[in-house]
Amino acid sequence: MSDPKRELNIKKIFWGVLAAYILLIVSFNFLSGEQLHFRRSRGEVASPVADGGAAELAQGVIVEQTFQAKIQRLERVSVQWGTYYRSNAGTVTMELVRPSDGALLMRESFDAATITEGQVLSMTAAEPVETVYDVPLQLRLYADSEIGNAVAPLVASQDVREGFVLTVNGGAVPGTLCFSASGTDYIWTGLHYWEFSAIFGALLALLLLLVWRRYRRGKHSYLVNALIAMRKYRFLIRQLVARDFKTKYKRSILGIFWSFLNPLLTMLVQYVVFSTIFKSDIPNFAAYLIIGTVMFNFFGEACGMTLSSILGNASLITKVYMPKYIYPLTRTMSSAVNLAISLAPLLIVCLGTGVVFQKSAVLALYFFVCLIIFSLGFGMLLATSMVFFRDTQFLWNVLNMMWMYATPIFYPETILPDGFRIVLQINPLYHFIKSARMCILNGLSPEPTVYLQCLTIALGMLLVGAFVFYRKQNKFVLYL
Amino acid sequence: MSNKSKTMIEVNDVTMRFHMNLDKILSLKEFVTRKLSGKLVYQDFTALEHVSFTVRRGETFGLIGRNGAGKSTMLKVISGILKPTEGSVVCNGNIVPMLELGSGFDMDLTGRENIFLNGAILGYSEAFLKEKYEEIVAFSELGQFIETPIRNYSSGMLARLAFSVASVVKPEVLIVDEILAVGDAAFQEKSRARMLELMGGGTTVLFVSHSLEQIRQMCRHVAWLENGRIKMVGRAEDVCAVYSI
Repeated sequence: MSDPKRELNIKKIFWGVLAAYILLIVSFNFLSGEQLHFRRSRGEVASPVADGGAAELAQGVIVEQTFQAKIQRLERVSVQWGTYYRSNAGTVTMELVRPSDGALLMRESFDAATITEGQVLSMTAAEPVETVYDVPLQLRLYADSEIGNAVAPLVASQDVREGFVLTVNGGAVPGTLCFSASGTDYIWTGLHYWEFSAIFGALLALLLLLVWRRYRRGKHSYLVNALIAMRKYRFLIRQLVARDFKTKYKRSILGIFWSFLNPLLTMLVQYVVFSTIFKSDIPNFAAYLIIGTVMFNFFGEACGMTLSSILGNASLITKVYMPKYIYPLTRTMSSAVNLAISLAPLLIVCLGTGVVFQKSAVLALYFFVCLIIFSLGFGMLLATSMVFFRDTQFLWNVLNMMWMYATPIFYPETILPDGFRIVLQINPLYHFIKSARMCILNGLSPEPTVYLQCLTIALGMLLVGAFVFYRKQNKFVLYL
Repeated sequence: MSNKSKTMIEVNDVTMRFHMNLDKILSLKEFVTRKLSGKLVYQDFTALEHVSFTVRRGETFGLIGRNGAGKSTMLKVISGILKPTEGSVVCNGNIVPMLELGSGFDMDLTGRENIFLNGAILGYSEAFLKEKYEEIVAFSELGQFIETPIRNYSSGMLARLAFSVASVVKPEVLIVDEILAVGDAAFQEKSRARMLELMGGGTTVLFVSHSLEQIRQMCRHVAWLENGRIKMVGRAEDVCAVYSI
């Protein structure tokens, strides 16, 4: 190829790739903030269910609970209280002590008069305590109330845990105090974030250098060929996407506005149904709903469109040569344009319902990209199957519906029975939607492993889809 | 062009075999039940068998043969639409197939949008299309109708638009399945002239026709296909002389 117009500035592209990589790494570090380095500890102690009081916590009574927890950074210890349903007085004090050296780690006092039945009181460390991982600790409770006016910490008398001892005035009592301990752990990959980024960056640079040298010597290289193809078919892809998009709303009065209106109306209907008929206790249900709706609708639409991409373009495939992957690719891309438009109603609903956007909201885009890649891969699989078996479209309709109900779009995931949780775990859409919601609604970034997991799922699906498609594409024309 | 080789298209021992079940089963249920009962019958149909020939740069090469001899299949193999079962086709330039005009026209789009869409499908670059846009519109004689959706066009108008887009190009290899003459008498004359001009302009042309007159006039070399095999390859006069007997 000596045509000067076709000549690619490979060097410039590679520098661009490296610059983009560095930019991504730095902005990810900024956007994900603390969640890059810490995650909720897996060694947290959960409170048992209360079935009685330990002792009336009058002056002179000391309730002590020894325990151990595998929490790297202990942040908070909470205790549940009972009041005997009367008004009480005095000051209740909670202390956390390390018996090995007698150090006082946390202390907080509460006015007994303000405690209500079953209330959970927490004491929070000013700085996370990092020296108590799996170390015996003692939680000590005492008060200066008089008998008849004192509150009582609740216990679960049947609950027995190893290393946990509950004592009242020094005498052991069966059961466990209703208390919980929580904190965060360090994330190993997060601690070494820059090292990992640097190593990966170096590998990337090395790969590009090798490809560059091969290219200079005029040897065949997949990467360069892919770049040339991308450049060659860019115009065609743009034209096909534009066609899909223009013809979709041609002859409708509102036109492109439907892309905007559709998710909004779908969400509104679901909102009315599920907030009045079936009550749900999800905070900010409208925003919760629209994120799920927008993402799942994209998936359904993209797969449905890609499914028919080969069959629908039969007249082209039998007459003109172009790489066949262009058909599913353009269909998915035109759906992605739709997705981008439906981000507007998503933003409007979020802002309208008082969601405060944190910097982590930008990270939701990452999961949208994963979703697009996943849809393309799955769509290619469907399109291939559709050529050989026209039943695929009907099967897909059923599958799409099942998939929708198996994904927590309009219900909270907590209502699912435990036996059903495995379905969630293997449902990629659940991970994408959950992570996007977390970024937007909670203002928190998921753990680093979640990013890796989502990208692996998406790329894995694309790889499988593309492989099957590639193996069968030469037979397409015979079955059209 | 850096590639100075004399050969433009090289067809090496191409065999095209269709392996199809007899009644084109396209439903899963049918497939499974047939497979289980062992009634899945496949039939091999060989459309081309060990076909080889070369087309040199700049020449007009003819393909003749009766209906069903494999000419169209051969053109589809060369233009990349079909992948040969055996053998290979090497082509050293970009191909523009004029097999069927107006591929990918979308009835809901305007004439202008269709020019760009169809041009992109035929492999033209954006810059080229922008440059030639006026020329295409002028040649098609569509005037202000270019901005209306083509579903309102008459079939003659459609054919004119399609021909204008397809013939604007200066390809390295042009594949022609019969000289196309479309539209009314005046436009037919114009399109025939354009076609001859394209084919005479130093590009490599692969030409299929049933008109021996045209073949004799335009081609240096001719291949004669019969039942998927090469019956004869050689100079145009010689092959045509034998063929017409």
